[in-house]
Amino acid sequence: MGLHVGLDLGSTAIKIAVLENGALLASRATVTAPGQEEVAERLLHEALSCIDRSPDDVERLVATGYGKRLYARADRMMDEITANAVGAFHCSGGEARVVVNIGGQDMKVIFLDEGGRVADFKMNDKCAAGAGRFFEQAARILDAPLERFGDLYQAASETAELNSTCVVFAESEMVSLLARGVPRENIVKGLCHSVARRAVSLIGSSSPQSGLYLDGGPACNHGLADAMAEELLAPVGVLPMPQFTVAIGAARSTAEG
Amino acid sequence: MSTHTNSPTMSRQDAVRKRAEREHGAMLDELRTRADYLSEYEYFMERLTETPAQLAQRVAMTLVASLCIQAPLEIFHALGLFSYRISCASLVLGLAAAPALPTLACPLLRSCLGMLANQPDSAIFQQWLIPTTCDWVVKFPEMARLAGLAEPDDIYWLELPHLKDAAASQGRWGAEVKRLVRHLEKRTGRRLGARSLERSMEIYQDAWRVFTSLIERRREGAVPAVWFILMANALYRDCPKGWAEAVERVIPRLLTPNDRGKRVFLAGSPVFYPNYKIPSLLEEAGLRVTADDLCSSERIIPGAVHYRDPSLDGLVEALAERYHQGCLCPTFADNERRLGSILSQRESFDGVVFQVLKGCHPYDLESFVLEKAMKEHGIRFIRIETDYAAEDRQNILTRLEAFRASL
Repeated sequence: MGLHVGLDLGSTAIKIAVLENGALLASRATVTAPGQEEVAERLLHEALSCIDRSPDDVERLVATGYGKRLYARADRMMDEITANAVGAFHCSGGEARVVVNIGGQDMKVIFLDEGGRVADFKMNDKCAAGAGRFFEQAARILDAPLERFGDLYQAASETAELNSTCVVFAESEMVSLLARGVPRENIVKGLCHSVARRAVSLIGSSSPQSGLYLDGGPACNHGLADAMAEELLAPVGVLPMPQFTVAIGAARSTAEG
Repeated sequence: MSTHTNSPTMSRQDAVRKRAEREHGAMLDELRTRADYLSEYEYFMERLTETPAQLAQRVAMTLVASLCIQAPLEIFHALGLFSYRISCASLVLGLAAAPALPTLACPLLRSCLGMLANQPDSAIFQQWLIPTTCDWVVKFPEMARLAGLAEPDDIYWLELPHLKDAAASQGRWGAEVKRLVRHLEKRTGRRLGARSLERSMEIYQDAWRVFTSLIERRREGAVPAVWFILMANALYRDCPKGWAEAVERVIPRLLTPNDRGKRVFLAGSPVFYPNYKIPSLLEEAGLRVTADDLCSSERIIPGAVHYRDPSLDGLVEALAERYHQGCLCPTFADNERRLGSILSQRESFDGVVFQVLKGCHPYDLESFVLEKAMKEHGIRFIRIETDYAAEDRQNILTRLEAFRASL
């Protein structure tokens, strides 16, 4: 049996997951850039070479994400919501019932049934408020890499009040808070709560008390899951390798049909 | 040091017209290059690109601009008038009107205002007929003033009761339609006769029969969403006889697919030329629209009008009742019939797609009510909020693809 590859061509990052017999062998991610097919091809070769395998070993490749149509060599295309559900269900050991995915330019909430199928989903509209772009902007203004946001969140003494998750308006709010001498730890905590409130409003009244997970690149900031748990008054887990859940789901879909 | 200046080479109105022409041209190119294009569709495309003056000349009738489907078409027809539904979904024309209007103004009404303000022959409309439906429609004359439009000689308000099932409302609506008849008689100097009205009712009835045949083919999956809506849109730009004949020419050329795929019911805000973003995205996502309840599509003709009393009063009352009862507009307070209407067609679809135009508050509210009701009946439902801009196409496509996978 050959390799099953999931390729997630997202709006801000391209991710790849290589599976054999359902087990993850390799994963790689890179920033989305013009010429996505070439970038994806390069990523595939990198992932395969690190496990000493060649493209001939690939049995099936499934493309997903906004740019899925740009990768002509895919054996199959799959929508990213279904791929996310498959990946999250698998990565949570069948526990996930609600998945909040924060992508580069959107936020999705996916409700799963007991078999891991999509029962319902919600997605923000064309505005990128509260999505990965928002955190990238915050990292630039606060001069702190995203990887440190979790630690900054834990070190906060208070939660700064941020009224907007809009990429444009939040910038002036953050600048104004910094000018007033508000510690950036408190601003990071405020940011996480602001995005968490947005996610909670998207989840709506159907939030379960368990089985809630966060994925997507911004989920690497564990402060976000903590903020969401506080807002929801329910535990929120972060899926392992949260930025690869969708790619893993696409790769697994080849095995699951 | 020189100062850089830009001096426009054409007036703003000319620039808007040129952009709108390009938008129309792009839409027509898109339609003509589709794999399922039929030359028979050209007739409808011509109707939708005709200017009001060209239309008035072709049908040899005076046009009355109407903002809704409440006023019975048969009455205008019988009096030698043409009820021209002001409907335009142009992004360019909407943007042209936008600076004078509230930011969250209904995109459809904004586009209609842009059309009236920039169309060279919009002064042809000497009369606007405005039913008191949604807030945006009611405020249309005020919005028109803000947009700098020349007012017509006559703005006629058709007061629509927002209750359908109450006897008092039905009585008031009947009286309102009779008041409209008297007003139109005064304007035209013509008398509405029972026989001429009956004849007009027969003509629309014939058009409705043909339309019903088209709808039956649609239920089989034979009519792509974009073409169906295009044909339906064209009724408001044509005489019913010519339109029905054109539809009859299309029907035998439609092919019923072997695989009907995933079928959806399209509900919500109306879809008008030249913006077919939602129906085309539905097709792209592999969803086949087999039914809808849009006032720009399957609800363009309210259906058969039954009457026992062939007097003029009897006919007008029957028409008033049919238009009032058949309308599923969310501006009605008692609109449970919409749910019943969707459920009655349960066998024709696998899920419901509800599109809301941003700023269209009655449909926005109703989408939540319907979503709850549909889910209680075990029917998959997705709500798409959008406007005429293209930048959310990918986002919507993703959602529709996932919706398809969930059906």
